[in-house]
Amino acid sequence: MSKGTAERVAPPPLVATSRQRRLVDGDRVFLAIAYGAAALILLIAGIFIIALFIPALPAITTFGLGFFVSRTWDPVRIQFGALPAIYGTLVTSAIALVIAFPIGLGAALFLAEDARLRFLRGPLSFAIELLAGIPSVVIGLWAFFILTPLMRDNVDPFLNHTLGFLPLFQGSPSGYGFLTAGVVLAIMVLPIMIALSRDVIRAVPRALREGSLALGATNAETIWSVILPYARVGITGAVLLSLGRALGETIAVTMVIGNRPQITTSLFASGYTLPSVIANEFTEAVGDVYLGSLFYLGVVLVLITIAVNVLARLLVWRFTGSETASA
Amino acid sequence: MKRVLIALSLGASVLLAACGGSSVSNNPSTGGPTVVPPAAQLTGAGATFPKPFYDAANFAYNKKFSQVTINYGGGGSGAGISQLTKKTVDYGASDVPLSAKEAAPMGGTDKVVQIASTLGTVSMAYNLDGVADGQLKLTGDTIAGIFLGKITKWNDPALAADNSGVRLPTQDIHVIHRSDGSGTTYIFTDYLSSVSADWKAKTGGPGKSISWPLGDGAQGNAGVATRITQTPGAIGYVELAYVLQTKMKQAALKNRDGTFVIPTAAGATAAAKQFVGTSPSQFSIVNAPGKDSAPISGYSWIILYKDQADKTKGTALVDYLYWLTTAEGQQYAVNLHYAALPSSMASFDLLALKDVTSGGSALLSVS
Repeated sequence: MSKGTAERVAPPPLVATSRQRRLVDGDRVFLAIAYGAAALILLIAGIFIIALFIPALPAITTFGLGFFVSRTWDPVRIQFGALPAIYGTLVTSAIALVIAFPIGLGAALFLAEDARLRFLRGPLSFAIELLAGIPSVVIGLWAFFILTPLMRDNVDPFLNHTLGFLPLFQGSPSGYGFLTAGVVLAIMVLPIMIALSRDVIRAVPRALREGSLALGATNAETIWSVILPYARVGITGAVLLSLGRALGETIAVTMVIGNRPQITTSLFASGYTLPSVIANEFTEAVGDVYLGSLFYLGVVLVLITIAVNVLARLLVWRFTGSETASA
Repeated sequence: MKRVLIALSLGASVLLAACGGSSVSNNPSTGGPTVVPPAAQLTGAGATFPKPFYDAANFAYNKKFSQVTINYGGGGSGAGISQLTKKTVDYGASDVPLSAKEAAPMGGTDKVVQIASTLGTVSMAYNLDGVADGQLKLTGDTIAGIFLGKITKWNDPALAADNSGVRLPTQDIHVIHRSDGSGTTYIFTDYLSSVSADWKAKTGGPGKSISWPLGDGAQGNAGVATRITQTPGAIGYVELAYVLQTKMKQAALKNRDGTFVIPTAAGATAAAKQFVGTSPSQFSIVNAPGKDSAPISGYSWIILYKDQADKTKGTALVDYLYWLTTAEGQQYAVNLHYAALPSSMASFDLLALKDVTSGGSALLSVS
């Protein structure tokens, strides 16, 4: 192959023709544009971080690190703390992953591995893309009008009845709160979870798979003891990227979380998340410390999201050696 | 056609810029003199509560005077105040007049003019089977009790005492409040602070968003309205217009004179009339005396700079704002279930607008 290519290419001339020089100049211009664009992205990211940090300063100087542990959110007395919102963000995202992980991994295995029901792959892939394409406000609207009564009248009472011995499922359900928000988030992160896991599973070397089957392992055994252990790191990355999406989701969560800054063990109770507080209160937040506290919440959220995303990308890249993670 | 219009409006603006003020001509339809404002594009931002009124009024004003276009962006009182501070808008709107602290970056409260543009009133909406619209009677004490978590069941003796003859169920009360910062919340908490010392001590007084002792938050009047309709046993405070549009059940509220009234726009005007000397520094009209007064009412405000840098724009702005406070402008408020300004407040607005100057000379040409 390489031999054939070499034969077809003419030997390079010793002196560059004017046409070639023009191309070289063109390359330089292109390079400059590309570098400029890259630098601009860095600049925008830098300005963004600074622009988020500066308005947060009045709150950072007033509350310091105590902001992270205070449970008070009182705009009248100008006392603010992020703990209930951090708690709500983490709890709803955790619920989303607990629900989305098994479903997502199952769907991904089906798409990547199962050869029998091949005709279902097309519709399933289409459904995933459809789900990924629904704007979050539409999902929120659906959740607000249809999911919340369903949770209140069916799902929550069932959980309370069967798992009510756990503090998680105690209390009277209103249909709004951590659990409903978690279910909404699960629906929203499923497409990412499935698409990334599928890519990671497909990247498992064919030789390993065939080797396992050749040794007499069944399909299920191959998946369980060869493919999943090999893809473990990549799947972890997919989970973390889904987590990144769940942490920042705003509007759909705001519509069903109940918007109450409290920390409770019951998942039926209302809560609050970092993005929801910001979305709810920025319009009428008057005064440096109040507005600054909203920016401070923004800083907290960006820090959490960046940490999760960096970790996820490192894991996925290490595994696939490509940038499928950015898809 | 469009080009001709542009040419005409350009010509008009050049002419008007040259004389730099509004001209007074005779209006053949009414016979009286009408102010013809100079051509200008005005932008405002701020409170969302009065936005439907402003939008309707702005549309009508532009029909009347095609050379003036007014774009009101909403965005919330906070946004309105900060944009006015940065002078990216010509006027701001807020459900609460500027505090001294908010006015400081604008040069203090004496550098701005604040006028009341409309009045709103708040209803207590509920979802109770077997209790019809207007049948439930609430007092300041029981509303405060419910929102403080002291009254948790619908058949609480305190509620039953005011509602003899009404079969109140043994249901839990679900409290729904606004999750977003809002002028409606301000008026409601202003009312609670005025009727209940306990509420004031617990929450620190009125605010556009506060730390609620209990209850769930929902976004916007529409969000609160939907959650009440969805949740049996729920109660919440909603702008009157939303109650009427969504046909929710609302309670009769006991006012200061001891009369139970169903909140109406006329009730808000009646309440506003009870206060003499209402001004940006003394603006609260909740818990008003008078037998017709709707107890949970409040004004909405428009803020502009006293000294206008651009004379043409400033003239167009005061002309428009004056029109907004006259009966002609106020009709658009009434159509949308806002309450008309009482004449005393309209006169206050006129006096305030006369204070607006550019280069030392007053801009409003209405006497």
